[in-house]
Order: sequence, then C-alpha cells, then structure tokens
Amino acid sequence: MTDATQVAAAASSRDPAVGLAAVASLRGLLESLEELQVGNARAQGWSWQQIAQALRVSRQAVHKKYRRFGI
Amino acid sequence: MFERFTKRARTVVVHAQELARERRSPTIGSEHLLLGLFAVPDGLAATILSRLQVDRADVEADLGRGAPFDAEGLATLGIDLEEVRRQAEETFGPGALDRTQAAQGRWRGGHIPFERDAKKALELGLREAVRLGHGFIGTEHLLLGLLHDGRARDVLVARGVGLDGTRALVEELVRKRQAG
Repeated sequence: MTDATQVAAAASSRDPAVGLAAVASLRGLLESLEELQVGNARAQGWSWQQIAQALRVSRQAVHKKYRRFGI
Repeated sequence: MFERFTKRARTVVVHAQELARERRSPTIGSEHLLLGLFAVPDGLAATILSRLQVDRADVEADLGRGAPFDAEGLATLGIDLEEVRRQAEETFGPGALDRTQAAQGRWRGGHIPFERDAKKALELGLREAVRLGHGFIGTEHLLLGLLHDGRARDVLVARGVGLDGTRALVEELVRKRQAG
C-alpha cells in the first residue's frame, strides 16, 4: 500500500478537522489549476467572455479575479 | 489593543500576517508571530532570541516550511498531488503549478484572522507589559506572550527558552535600553 492510500484509508474516519482541511487543500489546488488554464486561454487570445463561459461563472467574476495579476 | 503596540511590535504582526499568507495558512498562528519576531532584527525580542542562541532557521525547521500544497490532505480525497503536478508541468512547463500566483500565496489579499493561540499570545503580551509596569507593548512582550502556550512555546521550550528566564532577561535589558 502506498503512503497516499494509507492516508486515504486513515481519513475515512469522520474527523471533521481532517475532512475540512482536505477540502481547503483542494480549494488551494483548484485556484492554481484555474490560474494556469485562464493564463493559457488569455495567451491563446480567448476573451474574458469565452473564459467565463467555459468556467461557468460570470464574465465580471473572472475578469475581476485575474486582471489584477496581469494575466 | 494595537494602539499600545510599539512600531516594531506592529511590524512583527504585519510580518506574521505576510508569513501566514505566503504559507497559505487560513489563520495567523503563534508560529507566524514567532517568526515575525525574527523579521524585526533591531527589536528587543530578536536580541533576546539571539542571545539565547535561537536562530530563525532552526525555528523554521522545527515548525516545518509550510508547503504551498497539502499533499496529504489531497490524498485523503483520492487526489495524487504528484500526478496533478506532473500533468500540469507536461502541459505548461517545469514548475508550472508551483509558480502560479495562487501557489505562492499572492492570491488572497486583505485580512487573515488570528488563530486562537496567537490571539491569546497577544493578550498575554499585554498582560506581561502591565506586569512589568511598561505602558506599551514591544516585541519583548510579544515574545513573553508567546511563551505561555501554543506551538511557538513548544518550539522555544524545546530550545531551552522558558518564560521565567526570558522575563528576567527582558527586565534586565529594558533597564539598560529603550524598549522596542
């Protein structure tokens, strides 16, 4: 059994601290992946409207979130 | 409470917040305050820590660096961080995932709340100042506040730094120089 599956097995416990922290970690990962994809889309000339549609969020939301990083 | 902080003590708190942000911590913990003390090298706390031969690198090693991603937490969800990282790098180049602004903690602006142990340490710092008859809260009082409880205390005690000895040292040094 790998370390990862050991951890996964241990976490089938119902400890909220473990579960909630894992969700927070997932959110962190999500933010990075989204940033990579948005950056790539912009580099390929996608409009904020197109990106927003693909992400299923409003154009304002995605624009506001990423514009300040100069993506 | 912060209005009674010296400029250096405020800088410690600002650094603690920056450290928490860099490490993607959802809260400012006592460990961030402790590291913040090292960020103000001309503060009395930094002087004391150096005299007690506690250096930042050691404390940081004891506390753990705080990786941008939590591989263990993700594994509990069945997500293999190494695999995600590998895929991202295959598409976007070496280090792509870790180079994102989000990974480097530049994402969240604004306010990060204090964790309970950090809040407690700040309150105890105030109490230490009162106890010593000081009308302000300097970095030295923050250090004393941190020595009561929590992660920062554990690290310090493991390095032989205790409350009573440090308090005596603060009194001695404050008598000798301007507080800070």
